[in-house]
Amino acid sequence: MALLDFRCRHPFSSGFQLDVAFESEHRFTTLFGPSGAGKTTILSIIAGFVTPREGYVRLGDRTLLDTDHRVSVPVKSRSVGVVFQDALLFPHLTVDANLRFGQRRRRKQKRVVDFGRVVEVLEVGGLLKRHPRNLSGGEKQRVALGRALLSGPELLLMDEPMASLDAPLKTRILAYLERVVIEWNIPTLYVSHSQAEVRRASDWVVILDQGRIVARGVPEDALGQPAPLGWSDSTRPMNLVRLDRVERTDGQLKGWIGSQLLSLPPQAPSGLLPRFAMFSPAHVFLSKQDLAGVSARNHLRGRVCRLATSNQAIFVAIDIGQIIWAEVTPAAANEMNLRAGDEVFCLLKAHGLSLVD
Amino acid sequence: MHLFGSLLTIEEASALRLSFQVATCAAAVGLPFAVAAGYLLARSHFRGKWLIEVLVNLPLVLPPVVVGYLLLVCFSPRGPVGSLLSAWFGARIVFTWWGAVLASVVVSFPLMVRAIRLTFQGIDPRLEMAAQSLGAGRLRTFLTVSLPLARRGLIAGCVLGFARSLGEFGATIMVAGNIEGQTRTIPLAIFTLTNQPGGIDRSWRLVGLAVLLAGGALAVSEWLERRRSTDGTA
Repeated sequence: MALLDFRCRHPFSSGFQLDVAFESEHRFTTLFGPSGAGKTTILSIIAGFVTPREGYVRLGDRTLLDTDHRVSVPVKSRSVGVVFQDALLFPHLTVDANLRFGQRRRRKQKRVVDFGRVVEVLEVGGLLKRHPRNLSGGEKQRVALGRALLSGPELLLMDEPMASLDAPLKTRILAYLERVVIEWNIPTLYVSHSQAEVRRASDWVVILDQGRIVARGVPEDALGQPAPLGWSDSTRPMNLVRLDRVERTDGQLKGWIGSQLLSLPPQAPSGLLPRFAMFSPAHVFLSKQDLAGVSARNHLRGRVCRLATSNQAIFVAIDIGQIIWAEVTPAAANEMNLRAGDEVFCLLKAHGLSLVD
Repeated sequence: MHLFGSLLTIEEASALRLSFQVATCAAAVGLPFAVAAGYLLARSHFRGKWLIEVLVNLPLVLPPVVVGYLLLVCFSPRGPVGSLLSAWFGARIVFTWWGAVLASVVVSFPLMVRAIRLTFQGIDPRLEMAAQSLGAGRLRTFLTVSLPLARRGLIAGCVLGFARSLGEFGATIMVAGNIEGQTRTIPLAIFTLTNQPGGIDRSWRLVGLAVLLAGGALAVSEWLERRRSTDGTA
């Protein structure tokens, strides 16, 4: 039986219709899609803030919502922890009191989440006496995550932190969330509009557009479908590679993907060593031979897995040890006579890479 | 005879004390009802809500004398409510200072509800959702999140109610009469004085007091309003 079973059909007064059904048996599921796709509404329905016209939500062996049988478990009894986009800490309470707000329910439950351990993992020990108005955006998110966690949830819902948080801060929240998922093994449903985030964290992704599911599966497969390949702005295609090893020598950062060396852009010396490198498929140059005398520092050898067409561009999936995508024009793909199975070199400028810790 | 040196006569001091007592009690008695009505109007949507709105705001536009008349009819020992109070508790409201409190509560109620309702409307309803998702029921959410966040609005509502009660005249004289030392508050004392020969000249101290008290209450409410807008909490 799947961990989470979700079905809903709901018209909004704006004319928008949400018509979505998915199951997930994975620990970390992401809902991905552009703004207005219905992601946050799905979270609201699971949490119980919104009751759809027709809907069914089952979490493990508990039915939380079944409009056909007039079942709707009240919000307070759903055991679903919510981390809102803008944290929504209680402004009149200290961080300590915010964290402890849900503890009363936790005592009745089997899952043991220790207060001291949460404070340690989320690194909020120094903030306990403060009020939310004196916290930075990132600190607020950590406290909100801890508050949800300490209520002993059986499912964690997390709306992507506000777009106003800058990118490094957002990825740091994700790093904390990953720690939480590893430490307490709580099933998590995360809302995102960044392909890099989806690739980084999720075991399973449900991709939505205008209230409907356009693809689902493991991130690698689902993000290779035509719809997400064709998106622009914040949901545009984005590669994320896990660095198997990183070294800093003479201030220079070097990373490895398997046995292939990757020159990384310079980074503040005090920073943590990065664990991921992010780059746009449009910044990957392809060549059938390993070229000498080019300025691009990185020449990664790989094999073409498949080609996909979207928005008059050809997206080429290449296995370099991990799958990455390159975006080329149809004319270039034609001229190079690219086919699945071909060996290619992916040229990447070191400065075209963004590092993520 | 004068108290405070020669500042106030005994009658004036009694009117001042009575006004304070009535206005304070009216704010205290009205507060729980105003909180309930304010929260209901701010947060709930139900059929017939407009009727509640009309009822709550009616005393604002009715002539106070009409309010007083209706209260007198209801609460007189033979009236529908008054007879019950008399039978169950042996209590009498009309023509006692409690009658003045009753008149003040009803007349100041719309102002209190308005201030409190605005405060509740200013609180992000998602904070209440967050509390419920953390396992708090409606009552606990209200007591630990909504009410503390609305505290300044509650104080402002009380101050407004207090100030309005200080000035209450029409309904009070109908329900509580004009009994020296028992129901003669400052406005009634001024009214009584000015009906006596030379009374206009002798009223100035009470008039000054009334202006001072009402102005002070408004200043407190204004100050609270400013603090609310600078520290971001409602």
